[in-house]
Amino acid sequence: MFSDLGMNDIWILATASLVAASAALVGVFLILRKQALIGDAISHSVLLGIVLAFLLTDSRSLPVMLTGAVLIGLLTAWLSDTLHRVGKLQSDASIGIVFTLFFAVGVILVSLYAGQIDLDQECVLYGEIAFVPFDTIYIGGLEDGTDIGPRAFWGISIVFLIVLISISLGFKRLETIAFHPNLAVSLGINVVFWHYFLMTLVSITTVASFDAVGAILVVALLVIPASSAYLLAKSLKTMLWIAVAYSQAAVLIGYSLAFILDSSISASIAVSAGLLLFITIISLQIKRFYQRTQSIEAAHKAVNE
Amino acid sequence: MKINHPLKKIHALFFGLAISLFSFSAQAQLNIVATTGMIADVTKNIGGKHVKVTKLMGTGVDPHLYKATQGDLRRLTKADIILYNGLHLEGKMQDIFKKLAHKKPVFAVGGKLNHAALIQHGTYPDPHIWFDVSLWQKATQRILEVLQEQDPANKADYQAHAKIYLNKMSELDSWIKQQIQTVPEKQRILITAHDAFSYFGRAYGIKVMGLQGISTAAEFGLQDIKRLKDIIVKNQVKAVFVESSVSPRFIQSLVAGVKAEGHQVAIGGELYSDALGPTGTATGNYLGMVKHNVNTIVNALKQ
Repeated sequence: MFSDLGMNDIWILATASLVAASAALVGVFLILRKQALIGDAISHSVLLGIVLAFLLTDSRSLPVMLTGAVLIGLLTAWLSDTLHRVGKLQSDASIGIVFTLFFAVGVILVSLYAGQIDLDQECVLYGEIAFVPFDTIYIGGLEDGTDIGPRAFWGISIVFLIVLISISLGFKRLETIAFHPNLAVSLGINVVFWHYFLMTLVSITTVASFDAVGAILVVALLVIPASSAYLLAKSLKTMLWIAVAYSQAAVLIGYSLAFILDSSISASIAVSAGLLLFITIISLQIKRFYQRTQSIEAAHKAVNE
Repeated sequence: MKINHPLKKIHALFFGLAISLFSFSAQAQLNIVATTGMIADVTKNIGGKHVKVTKLMGTGVDPHLYKATQGDLRRLTKADIILYNGLHLEGKMQDIFKKLAHKKPVFAVGGKLNHAALIQHGTYPDPHIWFDVSLWQKATQRILEVLQEQDPANKADYQAHAKIYLNKMSELDSWIKQQIQTVPEKQRILITAHDAFSYFGRAYGIKVMGLQGISTAAEFGLQDIKRLKDIIVKNQVKAVFVESSVSPRFIQSLVAGVKAEGHQVAIGGELYSDALGPTGTATGNYLGMVKHNVNTIVNALKQ
C-alpha cells in the first residue's frame, strides 16, 4: 500500500518533523509558564504585522511578511506580559486582550485597503503542508538552476537549529527560572532578558511554522506534546525529550492517517497528537487505579494478619 | 506524452511501478488532474478514452475554502497535465501551480481569456467564467489546445470530440437565451447567496445580485441584507435561490426578513454555483448543471 511513497513524502515528513520538534521544545517552556495559548494569540495578531509591513514597504514578499509577523509576535508576547505584571490582570486575560486588539486593528486596516489587495494571513503567510514539495528553491536562476529542495524545509531547519542551540546553551538558567524563580533572581540571573529571549524563540518558531504548515497544526504542536510530557516527566530535561518524542510520534501516525484516509495532513497530525495525549491520560489513570488496588489489598492483608 | 525534465524522469521512476500495477492501459492514457468538476468534465469530453481525468474539488466543495488532502499531493505528483481555472478561483494554490509550471505542464484554462471579456471586481477579475457558455467555450478551446500540444498523436480525435462538444455548448447557449426570454422582463432578477452569476447575468440579460461578495469567505453586512430586501419588495421578486456550495442559512434569513415585512418571496430552488452536482446524476456534468440552473431559475421566476 505504501509503494506510492516517494521523495515528496520524505520532504513533507522532514518538514513536519522539524516543525513538530521546534514547537514541542518551545511549548515545554510555555506550558511551564502557563502561557500555552500564546501561539494561538500570535496566529491571530500576525495579521497586524503583515498589514503594517505591507503598508510600510509596499511589498508582499515573504521576507517582509515574515519580519512583520515576527515583530508583532514579539510585541504580543511582551504586551501580554506587561499587562499581566503591571496591570495586575490574569495572564490568560492579558493574552486575550492583546491579540484580539491587534487582530481587530489589523482587520480595520485590511478593510481600508480591501478590494485592491488580497492581504490576510491565510493568503500571504499560512502554508499548506501538502504543497511543501512543490515550492522549491533554485540555486542559480529559476529556469536552469539546481533544485535544492523545498523552501519551507530549509526555513524551518534554520529555526530548529536556533531553538536547539539556544535551549542547550541557556538550559541551566532556563531551568532555574522555570522551577525556582526566586532563586534565579538571587543568583543574579537576568530573568527579564531570558523571558524576552524565550518569547523571541516562540515568535520565530510560530511564524516560520505558520509559513510551512499553517496555523492549527502549530498551535496544536505547541500545546499538546508539551502537555503530554508534563504528565510524565520529573525534570525539565526529561520533559523536553518526552515532548519531542510525542511530537515525532504524532507526525508519523498523523501522516499515515492522512495517507489512509486521504485527509488533510495538518489536521491528521493534530488529531494524532490529541489521541496520544488522551491515551497517556487514560493509561495514567489505569496505573493509578491498579496501584490503589494493590495498596488496598496490602492493607487487607495486614488487617487479616 | 513527452518527458523533458530530469525531475519528471525521477517521478516517472518512482511511480512507474505503481501505475503499471494499477492501470491496464497506462501506456496510452494521459493522466490529467483538474481542480474543479467543470474543468474535469470538459476535459473528459474532449479527451475521451485517451485521458484519465481526476478532479481535486469534489461535489459541493467551495473552491474558496478547499483544503488539500494527502491524496491530492499524490494526484498532483502523478499528473501528466494539471488544469486549473485561474483568475484567483483557487486562491493560494495558484502560486503553487505557477511554480509547478516550471516542472510539468500546468495550465490555467481561464488564463488566456481576453481581458475585455472578463468582469472586473476592483482590480481582480471574476473567476466564475463557466456560467457564460460562450466564454466557457473559449476555455474549452484552451483545453483542446493543451491536449493537442501534449499528445499530438491523438490530435484528430481531440478535435473531433471538441467539435461535437462545442456544438452542444452552442445549442445550450441559444436554448438559455430562449428560456430567459420567457420570463417577463421586470422579473429577470436573480438573487443568490454570493456573486457567482455575474457572467450568467451579463450573457443572458438577467440582473444578478448576491448577498455575499465575490468570495464566499467574505462576510456580508446588515447593509447588504437591507439593500436586497428593498429590491425584493420594490420589484415584487418572486423567488431567491440557495447555492449547493454555500450554506443556505443566509438566504433563509433573507426570506424570513422579507416575509416579516408582509411580502411573499419563495426559495426558488438550489443552484449549482462553484461545483457540479453528484457524479452520475443529471447535474453531475457541466451541460446538465447549467440546464438545471436555468430551469430552476426560469420556473421559479415565471410563476
